[in-house]
Amino acid sequence: MILSLSILIGLSVVVFFTTFSDAQSESKTFVTHSGAMVTTTGEILDPLYTVSTVEFDPMEYLRDFNYGRVSQLSDGTTLREFTIIAEDDKIMEVSPGIFYNVWTFNGTVPGPTIRATEGDIVRVKFINNGEKEHTMHFHGIHPAGMDGVFEPVGGNGGQFVYEFEAGPVGVHPYHCHVMPLEEHIVHGLYGVFIVDPKEERPPADEMVMVLNGLDTDFDTENNFYAANTVPFYYQHHPIQINTDELIRIYVVNMVEFDPINNFHLHGNLYKYYPTGTDLVPSFYTDMITLSQTERGIMEFEYEFPGKYLFHAHKVEFSEKGWTGIFLVNDSNKKSNQDLDYGS
Amino acid sequence: MEVSTKSSKVKLIASGVIPFLFLIILMAYIFGPGSDLLDLGIPLPEITIEKVDFIDSEIQVTVRNTGPISVEVAMADINDRIQPAAVEPDKYLNRYETALVRIPFEWNEAEPYRIGITIEDGTRFEKEIEAAAPAVKPSLELAWFFAIIGTYVGIIPVMIGLLWLPFIKRISKQKYHFFLALTVGLLLFLGIDAVEEALEVSKENLADVFNGGLLVATVTILSFLGLYYAGEKLLKTSKSSGLTKPVAIALMISIGIGLHNFGEGLAIGAAVGMGSIAFSTFLIIGFALHNTTEGIAIAAPMSRERKMIGKLALMGLIAGSPAIFGAWIGGFAYSPFSSVIFLSIGAGAIFQVIIIILNMIRVECNNNLSNVSVVSGISVGMVVMYLTGILI
Repeated sequence: MILSLSILIGLSVVVFFTTFSDAQSESKTFVTHSGAMVTTTGEILDPLYTVSTVEFDPMEYLRDFNYGRVSQLSDGTTLREFTIIAEDDKIMEVSPGIFYNVWTFNGTVPGPTIRATEGDIVRVKFINNGEKEHTMHFHGIHPAGMDGVFEPVGGNGGQFVYEFEAGPVGVHPYHCHVMPLEEHIVHGLYGVFIVDPKEERPPADEMVMVLNGLDTDFDTENNFYAANTVPFYYQHHPIQINTDELIRIYVVNMVEFDPINNFHLHGNLYKYYPTGTDLVPSFYTDMITLSQTERGIMEFEYEFPGKYLFHAHKVEFSEKGWTGIFLVNDSNKKSNQDLDYGS
Repeated sequence: MEVSTKSSKVKLIASGVIPFLFLIILMAYIFGPGSDLLDLGIPLPEITIEKVDFIDSEIQVTVRNTGPISVEVAMADINDRIQPAAVEPDKYLNRYETALVRIPFEWNEAEPYRIGITIEDGTRFEKEIEAAAPAVKPSLELAWFFAIIGTYVGIIPVMIGLLWLPFIKRISKQKYHFFLALTVGLLLFLGIDAVEEALEVSKENLADVFNGGLLVATVTILSFLGLYYAGEKLLKTSKSSGLTKPVAIALMISIGIGLHNFGEGLAIGAAVGMGSIAFSTFLIIGFALHNTTEGIAIAAPMSRERKMIGKLALMGLIAGSPAIFGAWIGGFAYSPFSSVIFLSIGAGAIFQVIIIILNMIRVECNNNLSNVSVVSGISVGMVVMYLTGILI
């Protein structure tokens, strides 16, 4: 009796724990990285947005430049005023199905691209609506009190006004500089600050790419890499450009934990201006290596239409999301509707 | 009169039920809706990768939600490189629920792989596979292969061990006690071995939530008690059923050893199933040598009987053939959970047999277990097992 009872209990436990739920649905198909088609009765786990349901739209960010509220000072100098609000409680779906607590400037990672001309006065009204202390630290030339390091701005509405003359010419990062610094950066408190030369650069299709990583499980190793936050986004939503048209990319490396990042372009080479401070290119290459906050300007034109990859040649990064495609349209063949160059 | 017995029955039932009612109220108070008493701390999600199979151009991963809250499987990777994948039946896993994640991947045989599954909060869980090997496909050929191995490991060595019977028959009473005690030593070793193995499997492959150590303890003790009860019944009815007491004891020993050999079969089947063929060759040789001693364990109590070649052979089969079934299950339907259960049942069975043989010796030696033959027998049994066990 007891024996049979114990056997019964034992067996039922064994059966219970090995039972699969047998819900079945219609089959779906997906394409693997090597191009094979796979059919499943279940759900597809694919780290790409097939429809534009992203909270943060990398395509919009790409060509979005903020010039601020412009006014003239009495001496004729241009004043550009910006309002930046920091928050640290937002949960964003960074990759399909994966939710991560992002810390944001104006609600996005990266924060808005701030753009001014050399010599302009930049005035940033900074409001900290987060729980923790935050600051804005700009790379560039400014007085010590505007460095955003020793003046932490308290949370829940703390304010500070950063004011300085834009300079030097080039592309610079800005980021929060509150300790622990790594934590404040990897959660997303960074953005791009572009200083244009007084004599404008030649007209081009301009875009910003912030190379970043996401450590979603807090083990000081990035789980995702991307150009502009969302992994694999530009691979499945190619960036449309035209043949024989100058492309200018402001690229900033904000990846933490990994010592280097890099940028490889297919089917072409680019002129590279490190930090963008010089108007003469230093390199003509298809590969640059970037350390933390290292940045520069890339310029190139495509002669032949078609699809061209761009990605980290540190392949680990590209296989974890830092990869994209330029779809080059033939500008001679068809009258493309003019692209919005963002300026 | 009738009314009073009825009312006393009602009272009895009520007195038994009332504490339960209070318990239910307590639970409702703590866990029920609107209760925020236990709303402290953050429950951490957890999944366990229980099994990884390498199929043609695909890696199949069985994951189980072993945490306190439901989870959503969000992403799969191989060697920390993100891969498109499918999850069947769906990505929502309630507590203890399993799903199959299918990751298309051109894997290479004998190379190590790290399989990662990321859930909705971005936490990644990893399982490392030492060497990829194609998953075993159930086939008649393989079933036959397992049957042959089971025979080599289980039946034949036990039968060889039984051949010592004429030798044990001719020796003096003291030496006979020595051999009975030797059996105790052998079994003691096997029992401890089974518990150790069960703990190891549960530690390596079962999530903490199953509480491996106590699972082993519970199943071992239940098995022990169940078989002890059944064994006593068998001994009591042995006369009416035509079995003599030593035969009944030998039968129980063979059942106990059979359960143990089932566990050995599982280990061999699983090793072949996981593709570590070299390891399983070693396992087979080791088990074969080791199991010869089990034959002695069965033979010893029966050595004072006559005319029992048939019975002896039958017991050899009872003790040895479960190795075949074990190999089938281990090779074709391996699950760490059922392995732990079977190993623990085997351990309980062996401890039960030890008690019965000790009882037998005690009766034969007039309540004196501390004589030379008993002590040396148990010691030699342990040592022999240890030495042959090193070969595994």
